[in-house]
Amino acid sequence: MIWEAGRPWAAGVVWIFWKREVLRYLRDRSQAFGGVSRTVLWLLILGYGLGASFRDIEGYTYAQYVFPGVMVLNVLFAGLQSAIVLVWDREVGLLREVLVSPAPMLAVSLGKLLGGATVAVVQGSIPLLFAPLVGVPFSLKGLILSWLVMFALGIMVTGFGIVLASRMRTFEGFGSISNGVIQPLYFLSGSIFPLKGVIGGVGFLDIPEALRLELERLGIHTIGGGWVVELPLWLKALVYANPVSYTLDLLRYVTLGYPQLPLGLNLSVAFLGPLLAAVGAAWAMEQMRRR
Amino acid sequence: MVAIRCTGLSRRFGSSVAVAGLDLEVEEGEFFALLGPNGAGKTTTLYMLITLLSPSEGEAYVLGRHVVREAEVVRRSIGIVFQDPVLDERLTAWENLEVHAVLYGLPLKVIRGAILEALAWASLEEVAHRPVRTFSGGMKRRLELARALMHKPRLLFLDEPTLGLDPQGRRQLWEKVQALRREGLTVFLTTHYLLEAEEADRVGILDRGRLVALGSPKELKRRVLGQEEGSLEEVFLALTGRGLRDGEATVRERFFSYRRRGGEHSR
Repeated sequence: MIWEAGRPWAAGVVWIFWKREVLRYLRDRSQAFGGVSRTVLWLLILGYGLGASFRDIEGYTYAQYVFPGVMVLNVLFAGLQSAIVLVWDREVGLLREVLVSPAPMLAVSLGKLLGGATVAVVQGSIPLLFAPLVGVPFSLKGLILSWLVMFALGIMVTGFGIVLASRMRTFEGFGSISNGVIQPLYFLSGSIFPLKGVIGGVGFLDIPEALRLELERLGIHTIGGGWVVELPLWLKALVYANPVSYTLDLLRYVTLGYPQLPLGLNLSVAFLGPLLAAVGAAWAMEQMRRR
Repeated sequence: MVAIRCTGLSRRFGSSVAVAGLDLEVEEGEFFALLGPNGAGKTTTLYMLITLLSPSEGEAYVLGRHVVREAEVVRRSIGIVFQDPVLDERLTAWENLEVHAVLYGLPLKVIRGAILEALAWASLEEVAHRPVRTFSGGMKRRLELARALMHKPRLLFLDEPTLGLDPQGRRQLWEKVQALRREGLTVFLTTHYLLEAEEADRVGILDRGRLVALGSPKELKRRVLGQEEGSLEEVFLALTGRGLRDGEATVRERFFSYRRRGGEHSR
């Protein structure tokens, strides 16, 4: 059979790299296990453990409050994992095969982004299985919207990870990704503590009835024995600077109907963030081709 | 036609010079072997020819195309087998070949046939659907060689292709390469196994980034040893000296030692 290697078909390249990410995920059970164990740790153990003290956050239990946060945590891990594989790929994996091929790197990075985001959505959906347990109402609309939000965050995180991976020269740096990137993004996103509002704590400290009524008039739900959250300014600044905060808030809105940040701002970050990250990732991968 | 032409090809890394002013021509259909001690610049030269490194100075043409300005055309017409396996170990042999077929823009309707042909050529039909991580070194090499030929390149680059293979694996690979040569494929080989180079049409010996000898194995023996008897190894040692060339650990070597220690995420 005789054929000529032609100009690679960009859509085919996107597809094959999407497929590669998904196949790699399906063949590595430890990643799914990580998703389940994180969910049990953060949603059930932390959720109910800490929930015994923080009994009420604006009418939600603590486990309900952290629920979207745990979804985000799984998305962060999955997205960065597929991106960081690049470092390994560059030295002993498939990357050199890709770099010497005539395929456009834009298509390669797009496939990788879509694949990483797909895996992120699957991983991020693991907490959804625990939704009835925690008392998060299920709705088809909520499910589809949360998939959309997680997909956007997945693209954002994978793209960011690709830029990061393309700058990494050593593998010893792998470990620091978890401690140095995933955890700060997670902790500083309003995932495990509320940004504002009233939370209920120990029962003996009652809010004066007058203040309670005043707050009700402003549309803030309070319970007896609650207090108003006031984050230190520096912490507030970090949370507001973290793009994950806005996506997480959007996810909390679609799963619980409880936003803490302006919806317009959330939507713009969820739309522009992935776009920017995708451009960055395509640029970073193009740079790898010629050193 | 000239398959490879380098004029004054140089590459620096910071202040160190890896390749210094290389002039070289390789004819189409030729089997050319580039020899040299560790760190002589063999891989750097090869990487410039396959468009993975940009030259600091000088020009290189592969099959008449400029390696920088016409990189995409060059990439389409060459096949490469790297020093160490460049495969996705979690994918099967079939899937690895499929990725290659798509990357090189093989028409959709021939992909299946091309994969089957490659698997048959590499005698890997039985294990086509097993993940590559279960393969031996020799099987991986055969798979990579079959993959490098899938898009019918006119020029095949082999970078120390027998590194880490046992004698059986090396012999098997070598028979495959010999068969390709008879079909008229141009082969550019870098190696430090001198026996492999004995069969080359021409040999170039690189030392410290400079070409110190160029010619057929016979010519070189006559010129350097004064007789056609003897081995290329004697020629090689006469030209490059007997001192050991210990360089720093490469990134890859450091990576493997990291993996052996069980470093995080290095699966």
